[in-house]
Amino acid sequence: MSTTDLERLPRPDRPRRHADPWLWILLPTLAVFGLIFAAPLADLILLSFHHMAGPAQVDAAFTLANYRAFVTDPFYLEMLLRTCGLGMLVTLGCLVVGYPVAYFLARTPSRWRGFALFLVISPLLVSAIVRNIGWFPLLSQSGAVNWLLLKLGLIAAPLSLINNFTGVVIGLIHALLPFMILTLTTVIQRIEGDLEEAAANLGAGPLQAFWRVLLPLSLPGVVSGLLLVFAMAISAYTTPAILGGNRVLVMATYIAQQFRSVLNYPAGGTAAALLLLFAIVLTVLALQVRPAGERTP
Amino acid sequence: MIRWLALRATLFLVFAFLLAPVCIVVIVSFNGGPILSFPPTSFTTQWYALIKPSFYSALYVSLIVATCTALLSVAFGLPAALALSRGRFFGRDALNAILLSPLVVPALVTGVALYQYSLSFWDLTHIALGGTLIGLIVGHLTFGVPFGIRAILAGHANFEPALEEAALNLGATPLQTFWRVTVPILRPSIVAGGIFAFVMSLDDVPIALFMGGGDATTLPVQIFTTVEFDFGGDVMAVAALIVGASAVLMLLLDRLIGLEQLFGARQ
Repeated sequence: MSTTDLERLPRPDRPRRHADPWLWILLPTLAVFGLIFAAPLADLILLSFHHMAGPAQVDAAFTLANYRAFVTDPFYLEMLLRTCGLGMLVTLGCLVVGYPVAYFLARTPSRWRGFALFLVISPLLVSAIVRNIGWFPLLSQSGAVNWLLLKLGLIAAPLSLINNFTGVVIGLIHALLPFMILTLTTVIQRIEGDLEEAAANLGAGPLQAFWRVLLPLSLPGVVSGLLLVFAMAISAYTTPAILGGNRVLVMATYIAQQFRSVLNYPAGGTAAALLLLFAIVLTVLALQVRPAGERTP
Repeated sequence: MIRWLALRATLFLVFAFLLAPVCIVVIVSFNGGPILSFPPTSFTTQWYALIKPSFYSALYVSLIVATCTALLSVAFGLPAALALSRGRFFGRDALNAILLSPLVVPALVTGVALYQYSLSFWDLTHIALGGTLIGLIVGHLTFGVPFGIRAILAGHANFEPALEEAALNLGATPLQTFWRVTVPILRPSIVAGGIFAFVMSLDDVPIALFMGGGDATTLPVQIFTTVEFDFGGDVMAVAALIVGASAVLMLLLDRLIGLEQLFGARQ
């Protein structure tokens, strides 16, 4: 048999010459995807390569100036830094607050486990806008938290906890904590509890067992979770807009401002294209470091 | 022992933190004094009577948009998920990744992109998308369809093809097999995908903010734009009603599907 004969034999595992009929069934969804998602995004990215020609007007000439401004103009650099700082604070906060809860959920034989898991997930099912509004009676000058702290004598004058950066950090930690806890719970569950017992039997204290056994083993999953939470923190718009009281300028609030009030579409488009890039890079990185076959619960 | 006590105390604080903003909304909505001061000075139900009609019409818009989004997400998601899991064509994995990619894109970016696109679309065709219910549904399909695809793909992983073959051998037409065997088997994941699209549509602010406006204002956007200007007791009453409705919905979903399972479809 010559090689040409071999090539003529049907090769069931390879794609066939004529289109698979399933491709036709996929076509409507692909068309919708292209029309309502790919085309608008492409349009937005193209927009970032043009100048503004008056409010809500776009110049026809091609330019890279918008991107140049982002890496040279101190205004944009400061905004990028603030966005990054926000992301890191929120991620760190979620990790510190979420780890004990995840540890409990992963290890406890308690019959309250199901209820605890329900409590963790339940905020996700209440509209994000409602959760954001709830922070006002809690964090405002005359709100519940300041009232409690004053009563306890911990502070002498009310703290400003809302309509500023602090409020945004608190709100975002709250919004993203359930994701962090669910991710960490799966990660810890995959590590045999026997290993910690072995460490304890060999003389390690609880802290030592955590640092030398649990943390190194859970690191890839933890890092993957951190990257995803960071990506969600810098992409969020509703929480920075409401809890920042129009005073916290991060990438997301800047983009909305350019499209809603300043009407400099190319500037907003450039920031949006960059935010898109960050989100994609962070997600791809998160998937890369994630241990094979791992899924969040 | 001390370690367990410390863990218990930490857990209690974290759960208090998680539930605080939701619970306080309900308490404050009955506050007769200044709405943002704590503790409440007197009890009143007046805020519930003072809810403006714009909130009710926004709720109506939200429910229509979420229902259409859920139905269309499943209608486009089911064939796509079947094709992606059964087809043997070139670039299948790439197409799978591409069709799920909107879930990675920040909603705000999708929102401004669609806003910009609707302006260009108007210039070209003089068909308005922005500020219409169709525009809102289109905007929400960007994440609804991927949610539908993902939920059904997950459900399809355990599909037993022999059941379809049996139906065909017993004389059922391909169409009959699809409606009476394939769809019923996949029903739990179809329902999960639809519910997810519905809930996310009800929740969304960034896309509805840029695609809506005027008569096409959803409830979250109505609350968002109201809070931007002033913070009244009526907004708290609306928020408290949403908390109540969410609690009922949550209990129903937990009974019917199981929350843990439903959230498994999310990631």
